[in-house]
Amino acid sequence: MPNIDRRDFIKLVGAGSVGVGAGFMLRETIKHPTEQLIPHVIAPEDFSTGIATWYNTVCSMCAAGCGISVRTREGRAKKIEGNPSHPVSQGRLCALGQAGLQVLYNPDRLTGPLMQTGQRGSGSFAQVTWQEGLDKVADRLELLTAENQGNRIGLLSQGVRGHLAQLFELFADQLGSERLLHYDFDHPHTLYAANHRFFGEARLPYYDLKNTRYLLSFGADYLGNWISPVHHSLGFGHSRQGRSDVRGRFVQIEPRMSMSGAAADEWISAKPGTEGILALGLAHRIVSEGHYSGVDRDDWTTALSGYTTDQVAEQTGVGADTIRRIADTFVHTEPSLAIGGGSAANHSNGVDTLVAVNALNYLVANIGKPGGLVFNPEPAGPASQDRQASYRTMLELAEDAKQGNIEILILNGTNPVFSLPSAGFEEALAEIPLIVSLSSFMDETTALADIILPSHTYLESWGDDFPEPGVGFSIGSVSQPVVSPLYNTRATGDIVLQLAKQAGLSDAIPWSSMKDFIKDGWRLIYDRGGLDTQKESFESFWRSILKAGVWGEKTHRDPAFTLDKRVINSIAVPPPEFSGSSDAYPFILHPYVSTTLHDGHAANLPWMQELPDPMTSVVYGSWVEINPATAGQMNLKEGDLVDIESPHGQIRAPVYVYPAIMPGVIAMPIGQGHVTYGRYANRGVNPIEILSPRVDQRTGALASSATRVKIKATGRRIELVKTGGNSRELGREIVQTTGGKASQGHSAKLNSIPITVVPT
Amino acid sequence: MNVSIVPALKALIPAALVVAVVLLGLVVGFWANAAFYPGTSPEQPIAFSHKIHAGENEIPCMYCHTQARRSISAGVPSVSKCMGCHNEVATQRPQIRKLKNYWENKEPIPWIKVHDLPDFVHFTHKRHIAAGIECQTCHGPVETMDQIRLTDAAPMEMGLCLNCHKQKEVANGLDCWTCHK
Repeated sequence: MPNIDRRDFIKLVGAGSVGVGAGFMLRETIKHPTEQLIPHVIAPEDFSTGIATWYNTVCSMCAAGCGISVRTREGRAKKIEGNPSHPVSQGRLCALGQAGLQVLYNPDRLTGPLMQTGQRGSGSFAQVTWQEGLDKVADRLELLTAENQGNRIGLLSQGVRGHLAQLFELFADQLGSERLLHYDFDHPHTLYAANHRFFGEARLPYYDLKNTRYLLSFGADYLGNWISPVHHSLGFGHSRQGRSDVRGRFVQIEPRMSMSGAAADEWISAKPGTEGILALGLAHRIVSEGHYSGVDRDDWTTALSGYTTDQVAEQTGVGADTIRRIADTFVHTEPSLAIGGGSAANHSNGVDTLVAVNALNYLVANIGKPGGLVFNPEPAGPASQDRQASYRTMLELAEDAKQGNIEILILNGTNPVFSLPSAGFEEALAEIPLIVSLSSFMDETTALADIILPSHTYLESWGDDFPEPGVGFSIGSVSQPVVSPLYNTRATGDIVLQLAKQAGLSDAIPWSSMKDFIKDGWRLIYDRGGLDTQKESFESFWRSILKAGVWGEKTHRDPAFTLDKRVINSIAVPPPEFSGSSDAYPFILHPYVSTTLHDGHAANLPWMQELPDPMTSVVYGSWVEINPATAGQMNLKEGDLVDIESPHGQIRAPVYVYPAIMPGVIAMPIGQGHVTYGRYANRGVNPIEILSPRVDQRTGALASSATRVKIKATGRRIELVKTGGNSRELGREIVQTTGGKASQGHSAKLNSIPITVVPT
Repeated sequence: MNVSIVPALKALIPAALVVAVVLLGLVVGFWANAAFYPGTSPEQPIAFSHKIHAGENEIPCMYCHTQARRSISAGVPSVSKCMGCHNEVATQRPQIRKLKNYWENKEPIPWIKVHDLPDFVHFTHKRHIAAGIECQTCHGPVETMDQIRLTDAAPMEMGLCLNCHKQKEVANGLDCWTCHK
């Protein structure tokens, strides 16, 4: 035993203590961490730990109004699918609808009421209570109403339908304000106006893609984002593969190949803005060849005399043979259908173009027939009012604000600062003393608000919808909250009801919650429903709607329709007008609503940001599509940064060399270029900024495809983030296509199309 | 000349002693933690006794853990469920007063988990109940416990699963993906 002196002893004691401590901590760290089991205080009826509960509700990610089923577990939404019982979505859903979860769980959501503390636009907000926020707004509303100055109150909402729209109507009416507007960048104003002109009603008919055999689409990217893409995709699928006897064929006419263009049998690029002229060229061929035998045949002959095949071929750049062939196929294939939208509708002659497209439908007599165009019955819910503001109306609103005619502006989910070009909207907002936003997110417009009263997302609120267009018969759906509110927010309807109450309007708007308001509204539908409906009590009717997620009534419209002679006589499509001279600005800018981000409101959803664009496979950011020939002349390659300059501004984006775009046209997706729309949206550029303020003559809708631009290489380049490798097949035999000639011949039958590998 | 390494080793004795003491301490410390702080029977916010409920009063397990037969998790009863009986039963006992306090404040009881599996184990109660497995097979004789604890017989470890799967010849019961998915 060695001698242990005092020092060694202390050392050993120290070593021992360290050892014991380390041993103790070692086990502590490898121990199973303590977890808690938190029970409910009161267990909800529709909730079982570990078992999913599905709720049927309505998607609000675009204006289509698809029915959705949301899978929830432990009170949290986990997955969104299409509601199989809903006639619009039929169990299917698009990527944007699926990404709705990221609206709910978005980390950039506004979590409670805010008040601007610094200068507008400084971004300094302080949290306030709901009472403080509401009081401040309601007091001003009450004051203005009492002084009969209600018209100095502006209400600017995103497009809403059903009872929320009706609530806004009631609210504006009681305030004494006529300034109630809806504003969506991609609202099809020209289509409504063209239908009003042609059919006498500013509504959307049901386009029966499902049963058609030959579809002519003038610029409508109906598989991407035109009106009701999920329903159209279903129809397209059925048209192509759902029938044993026929494979529906379709032709897409547009200057830049969209997702629908890629799915078409034939893609035709007419000169931008001449799609309507082409439609009339086809009409002329149909009438002059004697394929139309209606009583008004002579009127048509006269009206279309200026659209002979050769003239139209000259004006549109589409070959005379092609015009003849398509016209003949269109008239000989029954049923056939023509639709129009997208860039074709967004020119200075947009309404005339779409009237011409309607004329084609009229001439082949497909109106009211399966596979044609079917009128929808009146929506069963509250009568919809046309509140959609065109570009011109928004300019008037801005002008009004600049004149000092607007004292309060209440914004609901719309973002005109981002999506209104050259309107000076930001300057106009500066003249409004009080701006209130009900947005769930900070965005470019909400950032300028004085008070933000944040709304629930659609997955947390009550609502209802009567889809427009319907599906040929009357349907409606109630949307119900699928989760409890995540934050200190309130449903838009409840905020409006509360404001109404505090502003002393509760005599006319007595409801205490949006749910009550909707339920009362649905009672009317129940009362109208007749004996069949009223066999059950209202409560049971209501529960069955909540359960099914949809209500429908087989009320079909009388397909009879007489065309006013004056419409025929006035039919004409003037040549499109563009901003900027073709010398100084050699290219026509074709801005298209992004398939993934839509008009930009989906840019804050990471799933949509990382979803490759279906045509270019580019992920994130912005790009400008240029024809390879043009790019070759200008010595531009993929990734080269170029400045795109219009008479109204300049933006910078990398080049994407895109074979499926006309030379002389360059295309850019809309949706990126946000500044204050949260962490995920902060990338790319916004082509809306450089659009000219040119409008469609008849509606005042923005002619967003009517801007000329020039491009200038900057000498810098970046790597485009994309999933696609080489766009060529390179003999790998991985993309087998039908041979060029055979597929163009109109006599080609399904079974006789020779499958060949196209050498590239 | 004899060369010896003994002097050199002797010089190392103090250091070796220190190392030995540290190692010994490590073992002692580890043991002490395991013996005195096993963590297998934590003190609960309310000293709920399974012995009284499931043992003496013979309340069936699934009277409270209602989800076990239809869900992956057995479910903990809601506070209202407890109050269903304790509005009337044993209302004056201190633990029940605690319960009443939670109820009146509409607060949930923050129970500490004892029987827990890691997240990479996919276990479902529903299937095991359907196969007629007694709760006690995995959870131990809870009806005898005043304070719930892990037992050596049912330690919630992989061996327990595998033994049983082997014994009962569960189809694919030994496949990794049956549980780890």
